[in-house]
Amino acid sequence: MQNASSLTGSSDPKAVARQLMQKAYNRDGLPEIAVGLIFLFASGLIYAPDVLPRGSMGFKLAVLAFAFLLPFLIFISPWALQWVRRRYFMERVGYVQHKPIGWRWVGFGIALGALLALALFGVLPRLPRLNRWLLAGTGLLGGALIAWCGRLPRFVIEGIVMAATGVFLAVAGVSLEIGFAILLGFQGLVTLVSGSVVFLRFIRQPTETGE
Amino acid sequence: MSAKIQRLAEVDRIIHEPARLMVVALLAAVKEADFRYLHQSTGLTKGNLSVHLCKLEEAGYIVIEKTFRGKYPLTICRLTERGRGALDNYRKIIKGAL
Repeated sequence: MQNASSLTGSSDPKAVARQLMQKAYNRDGLPEIAVGLIFLFASGLIYAPDVLPRGSMGFKLAVLAFAFLLPFLIFISPWALQWVRRRYFMERVGYVQHKPIGWRWVGFGIALGALLALALFGVLPRLPRLNRWLLAGTGLLGGALIAWCGRLPRFVIEGIVMAATGVFLAVAGVSLEIGFAILLGFQGLVTLVSGSVVFLRFIRQPTETGE
Repeated sequence: MSAKIQRLAEVDRIIHEPARLMVVALLAAVKEADFRYLHQSTGLTKGNLSVHLCKLEEAGYIVIEKTFRGKYPLTICRLTERGRGALDNYRKIIKGAL
């Protein structure tokens, strides 16, 4: 009983519960598929203004979609995921009602992010080769976030891939828009493939009946 | 120091059992969860999990509700206030001793 043996008197039950929930949340690969699709969508929206004529309808739609539709999709994705699981996979994943989001913490995170962005805006313009710093920094930070949030071996690998891609693009000296499009597009593809493999393996498991 | 270690003798043996501790810890982290979710998350066998859930219910630490979601039968488990208090007390005793 591998999971129970990790619960010794020296382990915090809260930490163990978080680990178990994290594994359960990522068991079917659906969160990765959602993240991969969002990354690919973001990549397309970043690349589109580069190729579309300025002022064209497509250009405007791409900018508006990036500003409004993309954040909206990111915001609703947890509920969408929950709906899909309950509608189609409840017999496989079971039913769980998580505690409400701590909006105080979300507000704190947004405030912290805004402060960080302001601080960076003060520092970044003074840096030479700003594009490279942004690409490398995004790759490294994004990779670290993926590895830390996922806390499973495959997420650590995905995090390393993102960090390496960001650094590679920075060294290659590509433009900022192209660089971000490639970074998010490639990472989206990696995440989508990984999530799809996990999902297919999950679907192929026989459904247990009865309790 | 020895008083804190001696408090280990007071630890709640219902919660102290690793499988039940896992179940209670999971239920403390969510609002409610069904049998299948607990079964898959903990890795316990169905029979084993059933026995532990019964013991926790007898102790008043969880409530079990059998319901349906459409045609799908659900056995939903929730931690009671008593169960939450027992888990908090357990954590304090263990943290104090270690």
